[in-house]
Amino acid sequence: MNPQCVKAIAKKDTIAAMRNSLVLMGLISGILFAGVYYVLPASVEETFDLAVYGESQFFSQFGEEEGIAFHPFGSPGDVEKAVDEGDYVAGLVLPENFDSLLMSGKKPEITLYFDSEQPENVRTSITYFMELAVESAALQTPLPQMEGEILGEDMAGEQIPLREQSIPLYLVMALVMEMWTISTLIVEESAAGTLRAVLVTPASPSDVILSKGIVGIGYSLLVAVAIIILTQTFRGDLPVLFLGVLLGAILSVTLGLFLGSLTENIIGSYIYVGVPLLVLILPGLVILLPGVSLSVMKVIPTYYLVDAVNQILNHGAGLSDVWKEFAVVGVFDVIFFFLGVTALRRRYS
Amino acid sequence: MIIEAETLTYSYDEHLAVDHISFSVDKGEILGFLGPNGAGKTTTTKMLTGQLIPQEGWAKILGIDISSDPKKVHERIGVCFEEKNLYPRLTVRENLKFFADLFGINPDLDELLKRVDLTKWADDRAETLSKGLQQRVMFARSLINDPDILFLDEPTSGLDPISADAIRQIIVTEKRKGKTIFLTTHNMMEADKLSDRVAFINEGKIVALDTPENLKLKLGKRALKVRMRTQTGFEEETLPLDDPKTPERTKDLLKTKEVATIHTQEATLEEVFIQLTGRKLEQ
Ligand SMILES: Nc1ncnc2c1ncn2[C@@H]1O[C@H](COP(=O)(O)OP(=O)(O)OP(=O)(O)O)[C@@H](O)[C@H]1O
Ligand SMILES: [Mg+2]
Repeated sequence: MNPQCVKAIAKKDTIAAMRNSLVLMGLISGILFAGVYYVLPASVEETFDLAVYGESQFFSQFGEEEGIAFHPFGSPGDVEKAVDEGDYVAGLVLPENFDSLLMSGKKPEITLYFDSEQPENVRTSITYFMELAVESAALQTPLPQMEGEILGEDMAGEQIPLREQSIPLYLVMALVMEMWTISTLIVEESAAGTLRAVLVTPASPSDVILSKGIVGIGYSLLVAVAIIILTQTFRGDLPVLFLGVLLGAILSVTLGLFLGSLTENIIGSYIYVGVPLLVLILPGLVILLPGVSLSVMKVIPTYYLVDAVNQILNHGAGLSDVWKEFAVVGVFDVIFFFLGVTALRRRYS
Repeated sequence: MIIEAETLTYSYDEHLAVDHISFSVDKGEILGFLGPNGAGKTTTTKMLTGQLIPQEGWAKILGIDISSDPKKVHERIGVCFEEKNLYPRLTVRENLKFFADLFGINPDLDELLKRVDLTKWADDRAETLSKGLQQRVMFARSLINDPDILFLDEPTSGLDPISADAIRQIIVTEKRKGKTIFLTTHNMMEADKLSDRVAFINEGKIVALDTPENLKLKLGKRALKVRMRTQTGFEEETLPLDDPKTPERTKDLLKTKEVATIHTQEATLEEVFIQLTGRKLEQ
């Protein structure tokens, strides 16, 4: 390795990338996309809205504090329809004489309707809550008072606004866009034949790879910082977050090196890079969809990155919690690095 | 010997491009490598500069085996490529500066730009330059590290006659400074004018290697060209100078015909090449 060559190539690539409108667009779009943050809701709806049919004194004992609001409807059909349209978390249909059945110590049956989009855990907890409530009403005992105290910052999943949940997506998008930068730099270098000229100077193929890697990682970190500032995400364990970003940057840069050495055709490279780019962004998108299982994403390397970043930012995780995810990303880094270097060497030496 | 090549051989898949060639170049010498398209000139240059590893044979540059220690050689050579390969988005000056940085040197770029008459275009991006201007930048780039050896692959192709001559002038100046030059061309005039020795290459083989004078003396034919006026226009007759019948025939023509001009015609490398290979240099 020749430091003076690495420095010269890195400097040249930094300028060249800035003058390439496509590369620049990739860089900026990663940052611009983070603007979506500001249109997403900043807070979570914290009360469960229930649609109800039937007369009862029963509901008067619940106030808004319990986080449940009852909305009366004129017929069981209306309740079903309202829930089906997704306006309510669940619907209740009470039998006739509900109160008198309760008074006489019987347990009346309540029909519950759920919106199919509600996750399993919401359904279970509502069912359980209703059972408990009916039980206590029937026994004429008040509902047990339960004081929940959350230790540390409240990071429970449902409590995190969509806005904050979306940050891992921007980060992963921005990092993945670096694949584009790097592969474009490499493809351009071979399409223009300039690499041949560089390789008959003191610079070696490893100097070329290393310097492009440095430029790519540099841009990645820059964009990541820009996103963090733009979304004011100053929480979680920042050093660990940056370690994650660095591992992610290496992932996209090494993959960019590999993909960039598959073709000498600039248009062709857009296909080689475009498809993996979309795939790698997927885990970032899926994390925003409630109730969708992430397990199918486990074959995509960025899943581990998104997962780790999400845990660090939104669940207060530290290195001891996310080291496994980091290790997986690290293994992919090493694999792609060797793939990239092998492909480049095969092409240019 | 500054350049030594021994049975260099290279095939692209099945196609034998360079076939066991051996030669050497002395310090301060210009070796013209002359041959038609596809003869194997560029492939040879690539092996000599470490861009291709010979499948057989070896080459030593400045006494160093190019395949085993290419970087040590690269420090001290300059290469001018056949195909244009500048950074399109960098300016002329930035292109040159980048290569200076690779060598870790800080040469006087203004002086270099002046030498190849590019001062006017110094701050234009390479992608906006005409082919001839780009060729001049490439030539300037090969000089950036003040190399001991220049490998020039058709450095004047695509240039107008004045620019081509300017480049040739610089080649001669470099030679006078003691630089060794490996010059590839299919322009026989250029090879004749510049080279100390010329290697004819055809179908991957060196078919002759000698000074231009010797090649022409041995194999070329000097002749008398007699041009005569006729009723309909002109008529031309070429008489070989070495033929004993030529003096008689000339007298004859002078008596019987209206001779317009007579001049001696020098043998050309082109002729020598045709004689050796049955093939023209430029198709
Ligand atoms: N990359 C390649 N793949 C396959 N064949 C090649 C390749 N490069 C050159 N050749 C073939 O090898 C032979 C020698 O090519 P080379 O470029 O060395 O010739 P040249 O003398 O430089 O010709 P020119 O005057 O056109 O530059 C030619 O027949 C050419 O078609
Ligand atoms: Mg050639």
